[in-house]
Amino acid sequence: MDGIEAHRRFERLLADVLASRDPSAPLEKAKADPELPAALKEAIAGADPEGVALTALLVAKLRFERLIRGSSRVGEWFDRDPRGFTEAFRRYHADVAPTTSEPRKEARFFEGWLAARGVDPGGS
Amino acid sequence: MAAIGLTLQPEREYCEALEPLFLEEADYFEVAPETTWVRYGEEAFLPNGFWRIFRDYGERTGKPFVAHGVGLSLGTFADDEARLRRWLEAIAMSHAEFRFLWYTDHLGATFLDGRAVTIPVPLPMTEVAAAAVRDRLASLQRIVPDVGFENSAFYFLLGKPLDEPGFFERILSRPRTHLLLDLHNLFTNAVNLGFEPEAYLERLDLAKVIEIHVSGGSASEPEWLPSRRVMRLDSHDAPVPEEVWALLERTAPRCPNLRGATLERMEGTVGEVDVPVLREEMRRLRRLVG
Repeated sequence: MDGIEAHRRFERLLADVLASRDPSAPLEKAKADPELPAALKEAIAGADPEGVALTALLVAKLRFERLIRGSSRVGEWFDRDPRGFTEAFRRYHADVAPTTSEPRKEARFFEGWLAARGVDPGGS
Repeated sequence: MAAIGLTLQPEREYCEALEPLFLEEADYFEVAPETTWVRYGEEAFLPNGFWRIFRDYGERTGKPFVAHGVGLSLGTFADDEARLRRWLEAIAMSHAEFRFLWYTDHLGATFLDGRAVTIPVPLPMTEVAAAAVRDRLASLQRIVPDVGFENSAFYFLLGKPLDEPGFFERILSRPRTHLLLDLHNLFTNAVNLGFEPEAYLERLDLAKVIEIHVSGGSASEPEWLPSRRVMRLDSHDAPVPEEVWALLERTAPRCPNLRGATLERMEGTVGEVDVPVLREEMRRLRRLVG
């Protein structure tokens, strides 16, 4: 595996870690990856697991915030029922990879995910 | 002697509260260009309402803009061509309007393998990573001639903290590529990762510093981590701590090419009572650097 391919693999493993609700298992998987060259193995081995966990939490927090900003209906749901909304967000974050940094698009994805489950954010 | 800047944030309350400081205290405005864009469907980015509000501050005051983004993702290795092209087109659109003096983003990756992590994530300090960042800066430089990156706040690292300055040097090898030295990020990393900021600064090529950032932050909540460990956050939601002012006082005179020092503050964190505090911070910044 050449340099850039190894770095792409490394990036994929790191994305799995940071998009996860519980990054500890994917972090261990990344550390044990047999395909990574020594320099990248050493880099991931030295990563502080608590710093990784905090970063994964901030990834989810930022996604949560852009979701609320992305649609007034979603924002109103959060205002009306923060506990119910937060639980729906937890499931969404676990089910759907974060592929956009744009609030409106994130909200569209979320509303599509809700619709597939028969949930109306305006009536929940 | 450097100019003094203040961040413009995409929130009406923030702009209304801090307008007197924009008009009376700042020499330039710092903008995250992506906060002025909107996209409908899969079309190209278009200006949003804050584009007009920020542009109007420029027109009313004649003050220039610098750009400081977070979404370019300087250290992405995966195939990211379509997103990168769209982003660079929007940057060109912004530069045509705002005529940025320089453009910086954060060192790290905010898109990993097609996933929007949106917070800068550290890079392995390898030659492949340095080359990837150099290439993205070169793409950016085709739009804005003076470009660079900020030393990011990271809550973990993929290498040793004191190796970062050497990594920066390998990236910033081309002309008109610069470092934005964020002293609050340095302070935050020093607290969380356990190193001496002065030892880091001694290893840094301070001649590459074009701009300095100061800001404040708060602590994470104990319940966020199972161990209840608390880490310092780069949250821009509090006054600049004295440790950061002390770093500024010692460091700014050692940066021969410093052109600006910017006070950063996050939207949603400014009320009426904060305005005099921020005004005094701008004035202290000017006394130390201006």
